[in-house]
Amino acid sequence: MRDFHRLQVLETREEIDGRAKTVVFEVPPQRTETFAWRPGQHITLRFRLNGEELRRSYSVSASPFSGEPMRITVKRVKRGRVSNHINDHVKRGDTLEVMPPFGGFCLDPGHRLRRTHYFFAGGSGITPLFAMLNSALCAEPHSFCHLVYGNQDAGSIILRSELDALLVAHPRRLTVSHVLSRPSLFSSFGFWRRGRIDRAAIDAHFSENPPYAQDAQYYVCGPGAMNGAVRAGLMDLDVPVNRIHMESFGGNQMIDDSVSGVAANASVRLNGSVTNVPVKKDQTLLQAMRDGGLDPPFSCQSGVCGACAAKLTGGKVHMRARMALEDADVAKGRILTCQSVPVTEELSVRFG
Amino acid sequence: MTEETMLHRLPVDAYTSQAWLDREQKAIFSSTWRYAGFVEDISEPGQYMAVQAGLNNIFIVMGRDRRLRAFHNICRHRGTQLIRAVGRTQKALTCPYHDWTYDLEGNLVSVPDEDHEYGSVDKSCLGLKPAAVDLWRGMLFVHPDPDAGSIIEWFGDVEPMLGPHNVEELVEYADARKTYEVRANWKIVVENYIDVYHLSHLHSGTLAMYDHAKAEYGFVGPHFAFWEPPSDAYGADIQKNAPYPLVVPVEQAGAWVPMLFPGIGLGESESAWSVFVITPLAPDLTRVETRTRVANASEWSFGKQASRSVAFWRDHITGKYAPEDGAGEDDPMVSGDFTAEDIYACEQQQKSLQSPYFETGPAAKGEGPVLGHQQIVLDYVEGRR
Repeated sequence: MRDFHRLQVLETREEIDGRAKTVVFEVPPQRTETFAWRPGQHITLRFRLNGEELRRSYSVSASPFSGEPMRITVKRVKRGRVSNHINDHVKRGDTLEVMPPFGGFCLDPGHRLRRTHYFFAGGSGITPLFAMLNSALCAEPHSFCHLVYGNQDAGSIILRSELDALLVAHPRRLTVSHVLSRPSLFSSFGFWRRGRIDRAAIDAHFSENPPYAQDAQYYVCGPGAMNGAVRAGLMDLDVPVNRIHMESFGGNQMIDDSVSGVAANASVRLNGSVTNVPVKKDQTLLQAMRDGGLDPPFSCQSGVCGACAAKLTGGKVHMRARMALEDADVAKGRILTCQSVPVTEELSVRFG
Repeated sequence: MTEETMLHRLPVDAYTSQAWLDREQKAIFSSTWRYAGFVEDISEPGQYMAVQAGLNNIFIVMGRDRRLRAFHNICRHRGTQLIRAVGRTQKALTCPYHDWTYDLEGNLVSVPDEDHEYGSVDKSCLGLKPAAVDLWRGMLFVHPDPDAGSIIEWFGDVEPMLGPHNVEELVEYADARKTYEVRANWKIVVENYIDVYHLSHLHSGTLAMYDHAKAEYGFVGPHFAFWEPPSDAYGADIQKNAPYPLVVPVEQAGAWVPMLFPGIGLGESESAWSVFVITPLAPDLTRVETRTRVANASEWSFGKQASRSVAFWRDHITGKYAPEDGAGEDDPMVSGDFTAEDIYACEQQQKSLQSPYFETGPAAKGEGPVLGHQQIVLDYVEGRR
């Protein structure tokens, strides 16, 4: 069961002049299995700040194949209570409450696989993509990685020196193309392109870095607006949708409030037992289950992390957001309970 | 039952009968990765080509994402081998016979006059049949099975035995591109390529750049790997004696001459990189296509290297026989061209297979690879591989 565990902070590092912080965790030997992670997965931290419980998910930015300890890099979010708390207060030796790694936005490397991985990162969206590309470089020796990385200016690029080190180590298998929306006039940083990662940038990137291995995969992680633009750009350039993998990070992701939920009765199978849960009008399934005394898994409550995912085996729901699910998941009946409101009066839901 | 005449491990029939070739086409050439060209043959979105891979004709096209797609070149309507990419953006693949049109993922998107010709067509089950395509070592490869697995599963183990060349950085030397036919079975041509014993004899005058006595070779899976160092005379000053500017560091000079299965020979030396693709056309007729890459250097540096090395080539590379001993001007044995020598030997061997008196003598140690290749062919044809 995915519970919170207390982990010690091994080390912290300030990044980009104190606007982000890397937190490295000490995972004791008896917990390494619980905390084994796939490249791209995230962990959830639980804090109690001013008496309120707050949970946030952060991608593990280290690769499980590089031998580095589990770590996250947290960028300050304007008025973000948890991100600023971490940046201001978390230090070496602290104990934090951490839920084990989770998430379906992953790149699982294979020694005999030969792929071209295209990564499109915006801001702190680099963190899962960094873990993925480093894993592909470490554990998929015949594959190639191309990263397009959008930031405001050279000073706001997190994991920049780690990327530079990978470029030195893998000059024939990795390219990094920085896109800056507001480059400083006084910086000597050599970036690839000014502006945003739009269709024109993607087209230019493909023409400069055509796939060598023809099994090409595309990973997108950034603010919602960037994700939408990159996805549209990729599709316009003939990339089939089943090769595009994405996860939204913060910012204004698209919420679809157009459908309001009806009052319903949900039959919920959780941990082997079935419970009937009444769902109020416009209530999410997750709220209804918690009100009904159940203890279902959940984390971010914003449709990003996927911790609350379940399978809908009867009835219909409307999902307000579903960034954590790929189209193929949805087709198989996967739903995010934190984002689902009933459309039919009878629902059947199954966890696990 | 009459006893079959054998050419070592294979019956002579394997080199002369259509039935054997049919089995090989199916079990070997239609079930392995097939060379389709150089990377640069398809370099822009919308470009396409069709290649024959055993019994399959495979269509390759590049999308605007610059990823290649491969399909069996069979329109799902009447099976016509006519697919081509059309339109200003080349987003559609069409068969001109009845204009059935597919998208770049092979989905059937339009059937002309669908309403009154058909009522309706379930397009979802009439997509082009996918095949696999990949790039490796600067070459395009296709496989008829879309789930063939990665090309590394096929070539990965032999790759460390190949030359240290960065093939992608070399450029094609267009004048060296040749296609010719050899009047011999494809296996005769392969066996000639991997016969180590003949190097010092048939090519005594033409391949004196390398020290055949120090050759290292062997099979890695179905693929044959081969390496030999420069001869003393050639190696004394590689930078001077090499005919073209070097493509590997001077201390790594030598010749890697693998024969990848089936019939994909490479010739990787310190100054050139070539492919030698063997395709059976008939039991006694084989097509050989060669293409060569050299250093991406100026014409001036090629000219300079040619004049520096001229003395070595003049003094050390000759025909097998002196002109006065030849059987006339066109005798390959005086040509000084090792390819001409090989073609001659292959064709003369094929001719003798017709004779009721044909019989082979013992295979030499240096002919071990010939026996090895015969065994691999036998294993494929009999379904053991």
